[in-house]
Amino acid sequence: MILTPKILARLVAIVVLGVLLQLSFFSQVAIFHVSPDLLPVLVISLGLLGGTMTGAVTGFSVGFLLDCLLVEPLGGASLVLLATGYLAGLFRERFEIHSPLVPPLLCMGLTIFAEVGFGAVELMLGVDASVSGLVVRDILLKGVLAFVLGWPIYLGLKRALRPALVDEHVVRRPRRPTVLGA
Amino acid sequence: MYRKQVRRRRAVLALLIVGSFVLLTVTYGSGSNGLQRGVSTIFSPIQSVADGALKPARDLVNWFDQTFDARGRNSRLEDELRKAREDAVGAAAALAENAQLRKLLALDRSGAIPSGYEPVTGRVIARSPTVWFSDVTIDAGSGDGVSVDDPVVNGDGLVGTVTAVTGSSAQVTLIADHSSAVSAKVVPLAVQGVIRPNVGDPGDLILDFIDSTKHVHKGQAVVTAGWRSQEIESRFPPNIPIGEVTRASIVEQEASQQVHVRPYADLRDLDLVQILTGGSRG
Repeated sequence: MILTPKILARLVAIVVLGVLLQLSFFSQVAIFHVSPDLLPVLVISLGLLGGTMTGAVTGFSVGFLLDCLLVEPLGGASLVLLATGYLAGLFRERFEIHSPLVPPLLCMGLTIFAEVGFGAVELMLGVDASVSGLVVRDILLKGVLAFVLGWPIYLGLKRALRPALVDEHVVRRPRRPTVLGA
Repeated sequence: MYRKQVRRRRAVLALLIVGSFVLLTVTYGSGSNGLQRGVSTIFSPIQSVADGALKPARDLVNWFDQTFDARGRNSRLEDELRKAREDAVGAAAALAENAQLRKLLALDRSGAIPSGYEPVTGRVIARSPTVWFSDVTIDAGSGDGVSVDDPVVNGDGLVGTVTAVTGSSAQVTLIADHSSAVSAKVVPLAVQGVIRPNVGDPGDLILDFIDSTKHVHKGQAVVTAGWRSQEIESRFPPNIPIGEVTRASIVEQEASQQVHVRPYADLRDLDLVQILTGGSRG
């Protein structure tokens, strides 16, 4: 990804907008009793478009802002989301994305990874209560919802960051030769 | 050139990972810090506007979910209604008797909220996206008189407690959060225990440390115990409704039993809440 001040501003806006949208909308709606998690999808899409560094840095930033706004211990969400973004970026750097199914499938898999990661961080910090089996169902459903959200978000971000994308071939209509003397 | 780039990437990644661990170590268990309060103060007006603007869209999505859910609930509710009608006749007689007893005892309690508490209304403007944290952010803060440890209720019953406060917003940790513990009693038995969450299932709470010789039955109500000793006092006032008993498992060898409780408040769908500020907590 070619980082110019304009692209950087767009990335910051995407991160802030994504976190606000998650807290004000997605966290407060329920589909089959589960709230969709937009943030891993956002970080994964940015990792797929920009590579490991973009994925890791935006993942860290999204997690940091989320923890600040939710007044949670700082660093937990950052750690999980930076790993998620990094893995998405690693996939982009190692493999070609040939099928349109790849981004949503990756969003599903890595969202499940992120949710398990959130759980691992929580368990590491100490959960002083019994854990219901419904947690597994919720995590899997969040993965399915991430699959649905994955493609439109990937396409939207690709459009928003098009000038900065290295692999993006700009399709230009061949110019008709000017006929002199006609 | 390429090696230099790879080295720089690895350095940035290592810095981010180390940074996350340092932040986690420094801020875990220390409540809200200055940075979080600052960010929260800047963003809470934006969150309030976003929350208001997105409410119609949220309601639409939730309407679909609730419609699917309602079909399944219909038959169960019909059974409950039948039983409730039967109970209502007995309850009317009990209410009349209760009113007389209250007069006799000169108890002047207007409702679930005890005297001395000043309720402040707040709207939920954000909630945690993971299944591991059960907390919400509300648009009332220290400027409205809200302070840490204030109990939070809604029209149905107890919701949680305030765990962090900024000028214009507050974090409410719900009773379904893994860190929550509320001293409670089953009425009318008056046996006391501690309400703990069942992480991942906000529709099921566990009332622990209940004496196994006391027979708790399905349908009995659970309210806050609100204990008080000479120096310390529960953060919750007594008799705030929490939920109703759904299942009580008695193990012969155990001295205590686990009672499953369904909270009256729908913790997944909170909108307006009341923070009980003031009170007599020392």
